[in-house]
Amino acid sequence: MQDFVVPQTDKALGEVRLEYAFQLQARYDPPQLSRTPKGELRYQDIASGEVRGERLRATVYPNSGGQYDTVRSDRIRDVDAHFILKAENGEWIYLEHVGYRRPDGYYRAIAYIDASTQGAYDWLNNTTFVVTAKESADQRQVDFYYYVAN
Amino acid sequence: MKTFIESRNGSPTDDRSMNRRTFLSAAAGAGAAWCTLAAGARAEEAAPAGTPVAAFYGGPEADIPRVGLRWAFSAAVFFADRIMIPSPTPRGYTSVAGGEVWGPRLQGRVLPHSGADYFKTTFSTYYLFQAADGALIFIHNRGTFRRFRAPPEPGHPLEPAPTTLGPQSPSWLRFRATPVFTAPTGAHDWMNRTVFVANCERQEHPDRTIFTYYEVL
Repeated sequence: MQDFVVPQTDKALGEVRLEYAFQLQARYDPPQLSRTPKGELRYQDIASGEVRGERLRATVYPNSGGQYDTVRSDRIRDVDAHFILKAENGEWIYLEHVGYRRPDGYYRAIAYIDASTQGAYDWLNNTTFVVTAKESADQRQVDFYYYVAN
Repeated sequence: MKTFIESRNGSPTDDRSMNRRTFLSAAAGAGAAWCTLAAGARAEEAAPAGTPVAAFYGGPEADIPRVGLRWAFSAAVFFADRIMIPSPTPRGYTSVAGGEVWGPRLQGRVLPHSGADYFKTTFSTYYLFQAADGALIFIHNRGTFRRFRAPPEPGHPLEPAPTTLGPQSPSWLRFRATPVFTAPTGAHDWMNRTVFVANCERQEHPDRTIFTYYEVL
């Protein structure tokens, strides 16, 4: 196999641009914490929520999932969320969040979304979303803001 | 400088040295990299020397929190075997032969033969970086790709590429990776608490992908 010199650069070559898409105001039941060998399991049921955006209007299908975070020894939460939306036109949409919620207020995640390829929300498929979130003091309300990584 | 690419069955073609060029992003004027920011994004105020400039993006209303991206490092990953297993949902295997890692926040190499893309409907890649200080950093890389008629313009939804795509058809491939890193505590611990998104570009001769990793701020 040939030798090949990687042309290293002193600046970023490939771009990523974010484009705001929609927001989700979610309401949760109180978190339930359990000690485990891997840290604390922090389970929080998603009770309800509304998605607002030009290209997506939907509600959280109540109790369709929630947060299954791990609270690590450094107090950072590994965010692992799964739930279902029902769009205004009745279509079903799956959401997954993977990210970090830190004690310093940083709450960022990547959202992976599945929608019907035959429906109105096919644009959500094969799209990477960058999410920023604001959590209320009692952690019962979380506002998520979704940006497409174009 | 040679790469760490290895022959399929043989030993490395390189001396495995970990020396890296000095990083000169400040001297080269890192701000220039961001001169083509999309509308709605704006560069932050001048960052400390050596720190790439972050681009921040917002929404149509002022109360939508902004999100920033800042180049952290890049990686060139060389692939070797490509196998498809015709399981109920076909499983792919594309082995990682080796590669290079460079940039302002991480320098090193892709640990040769440390893993692969175990593709299933989309990619899901597991392998290791070895930082210049020797630290092993595990990467699980997922992501998306989708082909459109043309690159995005602010405010205009992307149009899907035609289903029958000729070699001359104009199109734009959006190929994005979202890694989760597991790094040792110490100098690389920031990677355990940072969300990343990458621009990915397939290149040929040899078969490789260039990943440009951004920290999500």
